[in-house]
Amino acid sequence: MENGKVRIGFYALTSCYGCQLQFAMMDEILQLLPHAEIVCWYMIERNSYEEEPVDIAFIEGSVSTEEEVELVKKIRENAKIVVAVGSCAVHGGVQSWEKDKPLEELWKTVYGDGKVKFEPKMAEPVSKYIKVDYNIYGCPPEKKDFLYAIGTFLVGSWPEDIDYPVCLECRLNGYPCVLIEKGEPCLGPITRAGCDARCPNYGIACIGCRGAIGYDVAWFDSLARVFKEKGLTKEEILERMKIFNAHNPKLEEMVEKIFQEVKE
Amino acid sequence: MNNVYLPITVDHIARVEGKGGVEILVSDDGVKEVRLNIIEGPRFFEAITLGKKLDEALAVYPRICSFCSAAHKLTAVEAAEKAIGFTPREEIQALREVLYIGDMIESHALHLYLLVLPDYVGYSNPLKMVDEHKKEIGIALDLKNLGSWMIDELGSRAIHQENAVLGGFGKLPGKATLELMKKRLQETLPKAEYTFELFSKLEQYGEVEGPITHLAVKPRNDVYGIYGDYISASDGNEFPSEAYREHIKEFVVEHSFAKHSHYHGKPFMVGAISRVVNHADKLYGKAKELYEAHKDLLRPTNPFANNLAQALELVYFTERAIDLIDEALAKWPIRPRDEVEIKDGFGVSTTEAPRGILVYALEVRDGKVAYADIITPTAFNLAMMEQHVRMMAEKHYNDDPERLKYLAEMVVRAYDPCISCSVHVARL
Repeated sequence: MENGKVRIGFYALTSCYGCQLQFAMMDEILQLLPHAEIVCWYMIERNSYEEEPVDIAFIEGSVSTEEEVELVKKIRENAKIVVAVGSCAVHGGVQSWEKDKPLEELWKTVYGDGKVKFEPKMAEPVSKYIKVDYNIYGCPPEKKDFLYAIGTFLVGSWPEDIDYPVCLECRLNGYPCVLIEKGEPCLGPITRAGCDARCPNYGIACIGCRGAIGYDVAWFDSLARVFKEKGLTKEEILERMKIFNAHNPKLEEMVEKIFQEVKE
Repeated sequence: MNNVYLPITVDHIARVEGKGGVEILVSDDGVKEVRLNIIEGPRFFEAITLGKKLDEALAVYPRICSFCSAAHKLTAVEAAEKAIGFTPREEIQALREVLYIGDMIESHALHLYLLVLPDYVGYSNPLKMVDEHKKEIGIALDLKNLGSWMIDELGSRAIHQENAVLGGFGKLPGKATLELMKKRLQETLPKAEYTFELFSKLEQYGEVEGPITHLAVKPRNDVYGIYGDYISASDGNEFPSEAYREHIKEFVVEHSFAKHSHYHGKPFMVGAISRVVNHADKLYGKAKELYEAHKDLLRPTNPFANNLAQALELVYFTERAIDLIDEALAKWPIRPRDEVEIKDGFGVSTTEAPRGILVYALEVRDGKVAYADIITPTAFNLAMMEQHVRMMAEKHYNDDPERLKYLAEMVVRAYDPCISCSVHVARL
């Protein structure tokens, strides 16, 4: 810290820029300014310096080019705290949905035989390449996620991680259960809370945008069994769960297990 | 001896949505080449949604872009509904348009005040303007907050709305909320007018003056707006949306993950100024008066006029949203959603996103996406944008390179490019 100000960098990899937009759209950001110095944030600051040291580095987006691999390594070297922001940075984002298809096939579908001079690669989470100190979840994260994390850092403490599902918030709010009452494939039971069950409030099934709960308590298998009983195929279940969890190492084997169970 | 000098480059253009750079190559004979390098990685949206369930694909498409996620959502939903042969009720259509307008207001306010204005008042960052330009920042926040609140109420959240679904909405706000929305729109109208006045005084650089072909969606019902089934060009041509591939050709260029587009073999422009140029006769209310009084500034020949055209639209769409809410309230109470049957079919939707024409073409087979083609406004604009940066460079390549970089960036910013949108969307 210099002059008592926290040096902040906000860096974008491959994404929709929604996490930064959410951050920039907080009116509270004006209250943060006297306490912070923005060293790098291209979306709003022309005088941005990607290679300067910072106290907190916020990274949005998945690692999707070779250039971005180098960039995240540089950010790590220059930052005291690295925060992965949003589903792309934390889990690889929706662009990882077809991560098991060959990149060449995806490329051909979109670009045909066209070539560009940059080196694309399959989307991956930031943590694949560098140590990440804290995650802010969501697609996009809630404003309160930013406020909580930054507020906690500013007082010299450490924010806590969320380890319970969307279902918990949904029950507390008393919304009708989308999964049981409407019979729709809601991912609330396996998805990390913090959104206050935003979509179930609108009667819409959760698509899991905050990613699966960590600490090995995302019970893909139990939910897959419920979905299976509702008539969904293994492929349909995997596709839905993979929208935001394609890189989850437990997902496939846990769903697979349910389809190997002997019918009673 | 013909020397080629080090290129003048901006690796990462600040204050635009997404990651792109400008490269200007200069030799003794003048400007050799200008390239807009689009370096953000590809995300293959059309490819990853192929074979996926329609509702899941519709949840993923808005993730293409944050500044205009409602535009993506609503255009994708309309293309899907056309494909399965469903037409929403008028009141649902009106409320969807109000949601879309929320996106328009938020996006224009952010672009004009946070991205463009700092250049004109000598700041590198809009947040630093707070002390000296308190009024402007206050208005920017009010407009932005109004837009995002409208999206929040109708779309479930300000970025990546899940509430717009096949057949209508998951849930609708109450009558009281819609009444409040009208009131807030009315209260904000003078701020939109102030924005127009402010931007009418800003310089539109003569270096980039010249003929431009403009394309815009022809609004339904002859009222200036967002939805339409035909595309009109400023050369007098008009064609149905489904025929877009016959008139607009896309091609890959090696310095960009986003493809370029030509209309009848030439670069063209889309965006607020293109809407105004092609459809000013369909404006009404205060915006119509402002247009008549400032026609000379809202001219078709300068990309900088796009900034003022956005300010004009802030006025227009604020008034338009009030009328659309009235249309919906006249039919209150409204059932939020109709049952839809997911039949096989093909549908094309063309709408006016904040940055110009957005195209979604979807084919549905067995409830799944069998074909997807998405073309975004920025992908349409890239070729023209390069040409305008080149015009700027030709006048200033002998000046201080820092000055040229600044002016080149300003040209790019006037287009309000959305680079995240432009990458990864477009299919051969």
